[in-house]
Amino acid sequence: MGNYYVALFARRAVGFLMVLFVLSLMIFVLARIVPGDPARMALGPSATQAQVDQLRQRMGLDEPLITQYVSYVSHAVTGDLGRSIVSDREVSADIATFLPATLELVIVTIVIIFAVAVPLGVLTARYRNSWIDNSGRFFSLIGVTIPSFLFAVTLQILAADHFPSWPTLGRVDFQLGAPAGPTGFLLVDSLLAGRPDVFLSALQHLAFPALSLAMAGIGQITRITRSAMIDHQRRDHVLTLKSFGVPDRVIVFRYLLKLSSIAPLTIMGLEFASLIGNAFVVEMVFSWGGFASYGLDAILQKDLNAVMAVVLVSGIFFIAANLVIDLIISILDPRLRFKEAR
Amino acid sequence: MSIPLLKVADLNIAFTTYGRRQHILKDVSFEIGRGERVALIGETGSGKSVTSKAILGTLPDNARIESGSIEYNGRRVLDMPGREREALKGTAFSIIMQDPLSSFNPVFRIGRHLDDVMFYADRRDGVRTSAKDRKQRIFDVLRRVQLQDPERIFDAYPSQLSGGMRQRVLIGLALLHQPQLLIADEPGTALDVTTQDEILKLINRLVDSEGLSLLMITHNLGVVRQTADRVFVMRHGEIVESGNLRQIFQTPRQPYTIDLIDAIPPLYGPKVVNQPISSNAPIITLEGAGKVYVEKPFLGRMKRHEAVKPVTLSVPEGEIFGLAGESGSGKTTIARMVMGLITPSSGTVRVGSPAQASASQRLTQIVYQNPGTSLNPKRTVTQTLAVPLSHVGLHGKAATLRMEELMTLVNLPSAYLSKYPHELSGGQKQRVAIARALAAEPKIIVLDEPTSALDVSVQKQVIALLQRLRDELGLTYFFISHDLSLMRNFCSRIAIMLKGEIIEEGRTADVFADPRHPYTRALISAIPVMSDEEEALKPTVSVEERARFLVRSTA
Repeated sequence: MGNYYVALFARRAVGFLMVLFVLSLMIFVLARIVPGDPARMALGPSATQAQVDQLRQRMGLDEPLITQYVSYVSHAVTGDLGRSIVSDREVSADIATFLPATLELVIVTIVIIFAVAVPLGVLTARYRNSWIDNSGRFFSLIGVTIPSFLFAVTLQILAADHFPSWPTLGRVDFQLGAPAGPTGFLLVDSLLAGRPDVFLSALQHLAFPALSLAMAGIGQITRITRSAMIDHQRRDHVLTLKSFGVPDRVIVFRYLLKLSSIAPLTIMGLEFASLIGNAFVVEMVFSWGGFASYGLDAILQKDLNAVMAVVLVSGIFFIAANLVIDLIISILDPRLRFKEAR
Repeated sequence: MSIPLLKVADLNIAFTTYGRRQHILKDVSFEIGRGERVALIGETGSGKSVTSKAILGTLPDNARIESGSIEYNGRRVLDMPGREREALKGTAFSIIMQDPLSSFNPVFRIGRHLDDVMFYADRRDGVRTSAKDRKQRIFDVLRRVQLQDPERIFDAYPSQLSGGMRQRVLIGLALLHQPQLLIADEPGTALDVTTQDEILKLINRLVDSEGLSLLMITHNLGVVRQTADRVFVMRHGEIVESGNLRQIFQTPRQPYTIDLIDAIPPLYGPKVVNQPISSNAPIITLEGAGKVYVEKPFLGRMKRHEAVKPVTLSVPEGEIFGLAGESGSGKTTIARMVMGLITPSSGTVRVGSPAQASASQRLTQIVYQNPGTSLNPKRTVTQTLAVPLSHVGLHGKAATLRMEELMTLVNLPSAYLSKYPHELSGGQKQRVAIARALAAEPKIIVLDEPTSALDVSVQKQVIALLQRLRDELGLTYFFISHDLSLMRNFCSRIAIMLKGEIIEEGRTADVFADPRHPYTRALISAIPVMSDEEEALKPTVSVEERARFLVRSTA
């Protein structure tokens, strides 16, 4: 059995590296063929051509593309992602500052998605074609079709009208003086520092962005959980347990739920990409000051090193999230493990 | 007269699907006495499974019991409050589920299923038991169903056990709480014949030794003969005939029962049909043809799986050649090589005379086991037939004419051309599949268990059709099956496969009269037959021999 996980990791590691390679190459080339000279943009219109040339040379932009790429990769593997041409700060340091904010948002979003969608999926499956199911269907449809920034703006407006005290911008109330470390996750750091007031404030700040981000996922996962439950409900093994008087709630919540959570998990892995994409917009609406807004700024300012770092890190997280999901699924579903072991 | 253990009286059940009410069970009445073994027989849709679900209380939500009663020990089950009714599950009535593959939740251990069933049954009885105590009791039950290693089985996931073992566990599940009435729903039909035989013997033994009553639900009359004393024949939701075993089998009165018994191909005796041997030139020739699959896992050694060991055989034109064996024996791999769908890893496969060899794909066609899945549900019969016809260059009017011709060939009215598969019965669907195979005018048709998804009476018609087509069109059949009694009457020659190897081959009559290989003997002796005379003619197998070939299914 242990072998299975070793093989899984080994196989994934190879895939991981290949994806990273292709990804870095694509983004590297892309960033260099789009119009606009990064050096010129960094220095502004008033700089002389000599100054621009000098910066280009310093950035290595005058060298052949291959040389640039090799030099980039050889630095990147040591964790050196270069400097921002806008702020002249280390990109890796910036990422370390901004990434936790986004990760915290995304993780809370995923928790919300599962906390809402799975029970809703179970409920709509159980009362199929009743008013519960129909409302669930309506709710899911809204979640999937309406873009997340619209939810974000609507929530902000509603809050401004009805709960003026509810925070709608930023991560935490700055007046509280939030602890700065060690994880960068405010929810964790505040607890470590023994500051329940900060924790509460962070939670309040998280609620709207996470909710707007979660809506699409909730819609999708609800529907998938529902159809998986319905599909498995009619199987013989349910009839077996029913014939021997095992209570319905045990059949549903123990036997069916585990079996039916495999499909939604798989979808969640794919959903992760659009979650990061949507976070770019939602972070802007809520002035979240996270990794996504950092990335957006970088793109607009053609801050080459920062853009590449953002794409690479997003890619790494996407792959890592899917690896974690594969692991969870293989723990849930023993058939996968035996297939490998045989 | 004493009170019967179970009394079903004038039971009427209707199903409502999409607002349409269907009367499924009509005035069904029967009784089962203590220690009695009763069989409900009937074909698909006869209502036998609905009857068992009504007794167990597991009818689907869209079913309604309209009238009638079910009495257990004189107590009216249908009037009981929900709780009392639940308490009967597993204790009064217990069911042995049909399909050992799908009757366990694949992501839970076997032990979890057993323990949950025992835990909630105990709790209904108001008994609190410890997990350790339950485990001991479960181990005892597993030993009673002859599972040697209860610890391992308890911790195993369903997919780690063989079909035979899972079926035993299902029997164990039914025995957990000393039930009075054991309901067996087609036990073992999803398994190989040798395993099925073991399972039936086990059920018989348990019923005897524990003094249970048995309600056997089956479509297989051979199984009935082995396991029941009294028989109820069901058709279209009604009991059409009842009586004791001997009476039903030897002097059936209702035409339906007579047809049902007649439809069963005999294994021995005067009714057996011997198919003539052909002396034509061979049309299929396999010379040392074998198939090895190689798998290279990401880590670890390369795995070689020899699906078929080198096989040499030839089939003369116009003959019906039978390839028999249990699941996984390699029959389908050989069929695929004959079809040209896979290439042999060694040796050669020649189809047709050497001149035709290049066109082998046009020469061979196949009819699959399950017409429900081999026909595209979204295509009408016309659309289904149009595909092979367009391959032979027939379009438009010419194609329509040919389609009508094909429909006549398979005894279907031309009006059915516009129908979708779901509008057809199983037998009709299989006829369409046969018409599709005939469309390109093949010389050889591979028949991959073409009747095993059909009821016996339909099977008889389809077999008769296939025989007529062979005579009229001069076809050669490569017939794959595990149904040896059918093969006895349908095939001129037969080969028996075991673990990728042909272990016996010859004229069908010879193989059945004097099987050489002990596995063939074990296989034939395991077939449920219809009469004591046939039983006596079966080859004898020693206990050791039998054990040798059961290793795979129970270990």
